Amino acid sequence: MTTFLLIMHGLMAVALLGGLTHQAAALLWPARAAGGFAASYRAVQAARFTNANILFYVLTFVLGALIYPPYRIAVRTWIERARLWHISGLFEYKEQALAIGLAMLPFFWLVWRDPKDQETLTARKWTTAILCVIVWYSFIAGHVVNNVRGLFGQ
Amino acid sequence: MIVTRVFGLFAAVFAIAYTIAFEWHWELFSYHPRTGEFGWGQQPSKGGPVMHWYGAIATGFLAALAACLIALPFVRKRPLPLWLGWVVPLACIAVWGWLLRGFFLR
Repeated sequence: MTTFLLIMHGLMAVALLGGLTHQAAALLWPARAAGGFAASYRAVQAARFTNANILFYVLTFVLGALIYPPYRIAVRTWIERARLWHISGLFEYKEQALAIGLAMLPFFWLVWRDPKDQETLTARKWTTAILCVIVWYSFIAGHVVNNVRGLFGQ
Repeated sequence: MIVTRVFGLFAAVFAIAYTIAFEWHWELFSYHPRTGEFGWGQQPSKGGPVMHWYGAIATGFLAALAACLIALPFVRKRPLPLWLGWVVPLACIAVWGWLLRGFFLR
């Protein structure tokens, strides 16, 4: 069951990573018209991604919270015994940043409610960029931690 | 919708309360993953690891909710600054980098 949840957690994270990166790219580096791959990637309607990104963030977070106890028992104990402190630190930072990011979601929704509102533009840019960095960091840190041991690694 | 005016405050208070809860051990509850038991506040180990993350999130959530409820009557007349919703969480994320530096400097 834990392996299934871990895979689902990973798949949700991929969807979130894609959606949030799309939204951040379209906002921070907008393209006037869809041309090549990079321009087409940025030429999306960024606001359309808001609700999906919030949903994927919450789902990924809940799945992560569900598989955290097996990680705490089987993986982190092993990492600490192996004295891989920097690997443990990567995960510690991930859990703190993600929790803070979770509480930013209502504000994220608020600043994207009217994407043409110039008053919220700075907050929209920063909030999207912060969440995007949190998700990218967490995705990479999660993979590093998982690869160093794996839930049922021997 | 008046409630949306406190979303920035929610993010800011959660980030501060969560950080304080973790650092000063004000978690609402602890969880013992080996036995599956919950206990109020910070619990000592019962022969296995103790998890404080869920409890710190609960503390942060309650503190943020309380702050928003208190602020609601005031934001009708005077909206809160938008930077609250991203500057404070960003600062707390930076603080966490400093708090966890020991993991990377050993």
